Parts: sequence; structure tokens; C-alpha cells
Amino acid sequence: MNPLAWFEAIVAFRFMREGLTQTLLIVFGVALGAGVIIFMSALLAGMQANIVRRTLNFQAPIEILAPEQVARPLRDGRSGSVTAQVQPRSQQLRSVDQWQKVRGAVAKIPGVVGVTPIVAGPGFAQRGDATKSVTITGIEIESYFDVIALPDKIVTGREDVGPLDIIIGTELAKDLGTTVGDKLSLTTARGIASTLTVIGIFDFGNKGVNERNVYVSLRTAQNLLDLTGGASAIEVKVQDPFAAETIAQIIRGGTDLEVDSWIRTNAQFFSAMAAQILANTLIRIFVGLTVALGIASVLVVSVVQKGKEIGILRAMGTARAQVLRVFLIQGAFMGLIGALAGSLLAWGFLLLWRGVAKNPDGTPLFIVVIEPSLFAIACAGATLVGILAAAIPARRAARLDPAVAIRG
Amino acid sequence: MADAPAAATLCLAGVRKSYGTGTPIETEVLHGIDLTLVRGEFAALIGPSGSGKTTLLNVIGLLDKPSSGQLFIAGQDAGALDEMAATALRGRAIGFIFQYHYLLPAFTALENVMMPMLAARGRTDDAMRETARNLLERVGLTPWCDHKASAISGGQQQRVAIARALAMSPALVLADEPSGNLDTENADAVFDLMRDVNVTSGTTFLIVTHDPRLAQRCDRIVELIDGCIVSDRVNHDVVRRG
Repeated sequence: MNPLAWFEAIVAFRFMREGLTQTLLIVFGVALGAGVIIFMSALLAGMQANIVRRTLNFQAPIEILAPEQVARPLRDGRSGSVTAQVQPRSQQLRSVDQWQKVRGAVAKIPGVVGVTPIVAGPGFAQRGDATKSVTITGIEIESYFDVIALPDKIVTGREDVGPLDIIIGTELAKDLGTTVGDKLSLTTARGIASTLTVIGIFDFGNKGVNERNVYVSLRTAQNLLDLTGGASAIEVKVQDPFAAETIAQIIRGGTDLEVDSWIRTNAQFFSAMAAQILANTLIRIFVGLTVALGIASVLVVSVVQKGKEIGILRAMGTARAQVLRVFLIQGAFMGLIGALAGSLLAWGFLLLWRGVAKNPDGTPLFIVVIEPSLFAIACAGATLVGILAAAIPARRAARLDPAVAIRG
Repeated sequence: MADAPAAATLCLAGVRKSYGTGTPIETEVLHGIDLTLVRGEFAALIGPSGSGKTTLLNVIGLLDKPSSGQLFIAGQDAGALDEMAATALRGRAIGFIFQYHYLLPAFTALENVMMPMLAARGRTDDAMRETARNLLERVGLTPWCDHKASAISGGQQQRVAIARALAMSPALVLADEPSGNLDTENADAVFDLMRDVNVTSGTTFLIVTHDPRLAQRCDRIVELIDGCIVSDRVNHDVVRRG
């Protein structure tokens, strides 16, 4: 079954070949439109994936904390009216109540792929005369690496921190002038100090994190921050980062704990992303519309030009539905071929982008993944747009009165 | 008249055609035409410009609907058919030859002849290619089979048009000034060709012509003036000779 042997296809392709300049121009137009859409979509997807990846590098999608302490206002016993306004109280570092139970319960929620307790708090790292303020994170190495891919970020040394070990970032190492094997002193505000050996240096690609974060074992952090047996937070990793808020709500619903998802803590980024998606959608719609109008106008002209031939075809017994299909095929073909050419164009631009958009150190600005499904969707979409655009001219062609059309 | 339709190739009874119906400028072009052509007739339709010849041909060819009256083609009540059925009947039973050939310029001579068969059957097959080849051979155009319709001479184009009109072995061929655009020599050749098809295949022809010389070579001459048939006579010269 050769589809090119069909009457409608034969006539459609011959008509397009006859008006080759018109056909090529509109195919080129569709190609540009489809190319822009594909290129933009790939870029946007790459940018988003990149920001998501960079954020979730060092941040767990969900963090469970102890509920905040609140001061109750004083009320008059009888009338219930507030008699004294109380200042909000300062928050002290507290353990998540019964964190082992919470951990077990959260691990059972579908979509959760990693749960780990941490003890985090402020401290000072000191070596010689240099002192830097740091955020101490005590980790349980058996489970922590399921949540944060710290081992992948270690540039020198190793990641299995023992009770007397510490892992620091590249910036801090530079500031303190330490390398793997050196000792440094970690002091907390409670006056507890400990001398630890640097066993690894990490690089999360974020200066603040590389400067501020230090990792020690859970037990060490518990001692330093005076939180024996406790966990100041439970970090949770989920399969789909964008489902984090939904899962956070499930956890919130089951406990009275404070549950933060990265979607909440990075609200600004998410509103920026939503704006980008909206802008991209609008551009897609308008480019699609422009493509549709282009195809429609070419076919409207073609119907006028081919009026006599349509009349002859009708006089020879061609049905209205057949004439309709002749023009719908032209629309679909222009859409499809245009989109295929556009795919090539976009692919070329994406390769070019990969070569041009680089950080000063030569690493890519962000990784643009060339997703085959994007091209497939674009081609299918353009074909559909072509058919829809052809609908009006095709109907006009089908309704031509053959007697009038032949007389011209 | 009542039982005539079944036997006749073409039968019109009281056919009227008006334009602008329902408006102040309504004009009736055909005023009650009665006409019957039997199988194998070779008739000329003559008349001055504006007498309604082309309108009549369009009505007979189902390109236009009569405002009133009855129309039978190959025994079928064509006036009662809907658009789709009329198109199918037109493709099957009627062949058209127009003054300006009206071939599809983007297609070869062979493809032009195949086109009515292709439209009817939906897709190409070897049989229709063979039929088209035979028809082009019959009109003497075998060497021009694969030439684009726009690349051959006027006379040749008109012969392709004749071959195309015969593609579906129609009962009736309607020709609108088939030689009006040709020189005398080519006009004669085209006319002879039609006559030959008429004699060998028994196809009925209705030929609109301005040329009294050609009209005189038809079996029957129908004269239309101001939308009425004013004379309808058997051409004894031809009939006697034939």
C-alpha cells in the first residue's frame, strides 16, 4: 500500500510542486517557527533542570524540624481579653521529638527515596589565627548520602567521617589554609570545642556553601551542639522533586512538626520559573498562530489559483470530500516538513549553544539535554496546526461551484 | 415521454433554469427545455451567444441544478440526486470536453487521462494505466504520453481531453466548442476523432458549436435561441451519407 498512490496525495503533491516557490517559502517559515519553539523549550528545560539540580545539590527536597516555640499572650481569666502582649520568643536549637519514629514513618510514604537525621547548628572553625563562622552539620553516613550526593562532590580525600573527622568546603579550606590531613578546631557558642582532622574537601559549585558548610559525624555534632541523642532535623529525599510540597503536606498532616519543602523555601525561584513557563507558553502560542496563518494564507491563494483545476477535477467526478482532503494533506505536509526542517535547525542551534555558552573555566553554562520527545511532539503539533490551518481553505475549495470555477 | 427516460441516454422534460432566484433581478435563462438523445446520437447544439447553450450543457452535465423540470441521464433521475450522488453519476456517465482543453497542467498527458478513473477508484492501479495508454493510442498521442499537458500543442491537448472524456466509458459526452480554439485542420481532426468514437463505441455526443460547417456534419442539429429550442431537426445529408 503506497500512500503516494492515493488520488488525494497525488494531486496534493503535484499542486505543491507546481507552486514550488510558495511551498518552499512557507515550509521555511514553518521551519523557523518550529525551530524557535524547540530551541526555546530545550533551553528553558535545561535551565530549569540546571537550577533544580544546583539547588538540590546541597539542599534536601524536604526538611522536618521541631515545631517552633511560641510565647502565649497573657489573657484575663474571666473576659478572655489579652492583658499583655508578649514578644515572640527566641528559638533554641531543639531535637525533633522522637525522631527515630518520625524517620520510620516518613520512610514508608510512597515517593520517598531517602530519610536521614542531621544535627545542624552554628559554630566557629579555627586554625591558627584564622577563625571562620560555619554551619556544622552532623551526618549519619549510612543514610545521609542517599539524600545528598556528598561523595560525588568530594574533590580531595574521602567522605566517611568518623567521630574525630571533618569534611570542609574548598573555600573554607582556602581561607584557613588547610588540606586533607590537617587539624582544625571547631567551637560552638556553648563553649564546647573539639579538634578534628580534615579528611575530605568538597565542592558544591556554590561559594556560600563551600565557605560555610562543614560536615562531621552525627555523634560529634550532638556533643558540640549539646543535643545528645537528638536530631535537629530530618532530611528527606523524594523521587520527583516537584512533588516535594505534596509529600511535605502529607508529613505535616500526620505530625505537628515543621515541614519545609524546597518548593516553599525557594518560592522566589518557583515564581520566576512559573513566569518563564508562562512566557514560553505565550511565545509558543503566538508562533504557532503565525505558522498557522502562514499556511492558511498560502493555501487560500492556492485555492484561488487552482480554482479552474479544482473545477475540472470536480467535473471529472471528484467528490467534495476528496477536494477537501487534497488541501488538508497539503496543510499537514507543510506543517510536518516544516517542523522536520525546524528540528534540524533547532538541533544545530542547540549544538552551537553548547559550544558557545560556557563558563570562563570551560565547563558548560548549563547542560542542555536534546530530548527526542521534544522533536516528536513539535512535529506532531506542527502537522496538526497545518491540518487546522488548511481547514478553511480546504472547505472553500470543496465548496467551489465547478461550473463557475471552470468558466474562471 | 413517460417511458422514454429508461431507454434514452439523456432526457430533459420542461427544464427551467433561473439565476438570482428570490431576488429582484431573477432571470430565467432556460424556458422549459424538452430534449431526448438516444444511444449513439451525434447531435449539435447551436445558437447565438447568450442563448443559454452553456447553461444547458452545465445542467445536463450536473454541474448546475435545474430550477424545475426533470432530467434523466442513463436512465437515472438525476434531478433528484444529492450533491454526492450527482458527482458520482457525473464521473461515471458523463465525459466533458471544453473549449480550452482544461487539462491539469501539472500532470502528464497520461496522468490527465487517468484522472477520472483515479478519482473514482481512489488509488492508481495498472489497469487504469493500461486503459489510459490505449485511449491515448486511439487519439494518436502515444509518443506524448509522458509529456506535461502544458508542453504539447493545442490540438494535441484537445485530443488528450477527448481521451480523458472517454476514460470512464461514459454514456454521454458533452463538448463545449471543442474546436473553437483550433485552426481548421486541427478542428477537423478533433471532430473526426469524436465521430470515430461515436461510430465505434456507440457513445452519445452533444456538441455545442458556433461553426455551421461542423454542425452540418452532425446527425441532428438542435437550435437554441433565448433559452428555447426553436428547431430540432435530423440532418438528412449526413444520415443519408452515413
